[in-house]
Amino acid sequence: MDGSLNVIGYGLAAIGPAIGVGLIFAAYINGVARQPEARGLLQPIAILGFALAEALAILGFVLAFIL
Amino acid sequence: MSVLQAAAPVLAAAEGGEGGGLDWTYPILPHPGEVIVGLVAFGVLYWVIAKKVVPLFEAAYAQRKDAIQGGIERAERAQAEAQAALEEYRTQLADARAEAARIREEARSEGAKIIAEMRDRASAEAERITESASRQVEAERQAAVTSLRTELGGLATQLAGRIVGEALTDSARQSRIVERFLTELEQSSPEDVRASATTAEPTTSATSAGPSSGGAHRVP
Amino acid sequence: MPYVLASAGFTPPGPSSFWHPLIGDGAFAVTRSMFVVVATVIIIGLVMTMTAKRLQLVPTKGQFAVESLYNIARNQIGVDFIGEARLRPFLPLLVSLFLFILLNNLAGIIPFVQFPSMSRFGYVVVLTLIVYVVYHYVGLKKKGFGGYFRGFLPPGVPIWLVPVVYPLELLTYFVTRPLTLSLRLFANMFAGHTLLLVFALGGEYLLLHSGNIFLQATSVASFAMFIAMTFFELLIQFLQAYIFVLLTAYYIADAMAEEH
Repeated sequence: MDGSLNVIGYGLAAIGPAIGVGLIFAAYINGVARQPEARGLLQPIAILGFALAEALAILGFVLAFIL
Repeated sequence: MSVLQAAAPVLAAAEGGEGGGLDWTYPILPHPGEVIVGLVAFGVLYWVIAKKVVPLFEAAYAQRKDAIQGGIERAERAQAEAQAALEEYRTQLADARAEAARIREEARSEGAKIIAEMRDRASAEAERITESASRQVEAERQAAVTSLRTELGGLATQLAGRIVGEALTDSARQSRIVERFLTELEQSSPEDVRASATTAEPTTSATSAGPSSGGAHRVP
Repeated sequence: MPYVLASAGFTPPGPSSFWHPLIGDGAFAVTRSMFVVVATVIIIGLVMTMTAKRLQLVPTKGQFAVESLYNIARNQIGVDFIGEARLRPFLPLLVSLFLFILLNNLAGIIPFVQFPSMSRFGYVVVLTLIVYVVYHYVGLKKKGFGGYFRGFLPPGVPIWLVPVVYPLELLTYFVTRPLTLSLRLFANMFAGHTLLLVFALGGEYLLLHSGNIFLQATSVASFAMFIAMTFFELLIQFLQAYIFVLLTAYYIADAMAEEH
């Protein structure tokens, strides 16, 4: 059962990054909707932010396997 | 990473102990064979991309950029040329218009001058004709006077003979005789004048008509 | 193994699903992913050199497709982050990283290959190590040893915060960045492929081994999810290749930046 408990822990840990990723893309969509010509400028920044927020979830995922 | 890498084999060994050695199903454990293959494969790929692909792509991009920029420059130059040509045509057109107006003006003034000259010449001619006509009339008159003067002696002699022939009773009768003589003279004189100067009379009538008709024909 | 659920007859996919030694066993076994990696290198090398040899001013359809991939690494990532003037020495690295990761990720959903080699940590470690060495080397070469290490500190930090911030920055540069860079790619591919396996193997088990007509009917839903997840995976695979190269460019640009 400890394996499944790890995965539950990972599920809980993924909540935070999930909200973060949601906020990042919400802000990105807002920005593009307000200023469509800024899309090219915003896209790498949004994906960078997404990658950084996702890193936390990934760490949780890996730790679920290690521990 | 270093922490994980250090920890992973230990953990894997602890968990996969039953198989003996390391458990290669363990996800976080880099498989040495795969690391070597990955290193070699990526090295080969990097070499190929760096030596055979990127330089050619960059050259093509530079060429394309050059072509596009050159095209734009060419287009700009052509447009400037067209603009200059248009300007030139416009100035030429304006020049031509001014020239045409000038020529028209000149022709008009020339025409007016010609008309004035013609008019001058015509009036001079008319004057000259009038002059010669009046001179001729004068000459006719002179001739008439001369012939009259020569006739007048005969006529006077004739009158005197008549007066002497008649009985001079009263002055009334005398004046009546003179009156009758004069009317007789008046009635007869045209025939006499024509008889005396037949050659002069047609020219006189022609010259008196001449200025009006001849001048009217010439002036327009 | 703690992570394998032993339920009635059905073995759910787990880390062991990614271990396919074809020749030999142990540390130097020839695995399935090696064939995928070698095949992708050959394909990329052939396609790119063939295209590069007959590049035309006005691209054909094939050239246009290859150029758009090349331009993602070059213009969208390289020019945006590193800048056109300093890009040229790093361009081969960015392009080859992008193509290599993209094609190896896509191998996860290409029929009959169906193995994302980046779900094996070894390859990701190699790529991350290369990036790690490159960005530290570039930073040291550009700023010198002292300058590089001083440059870790963000500008405008109060002096009394430096003892707190500086170790964190050091940790970011030397541990967190390579760790997240490698784990992000690896874990995404690993988890994504596991997800596909769950639906595929689950559907198969329900259809063939459940022996119950109602459970067999639910396998349709499982296969439908498998197909839907395949398209989702396509997006993830592309995005992860993009993010890996984007972060590489970001790290290199950051190491060269005049101020933090």
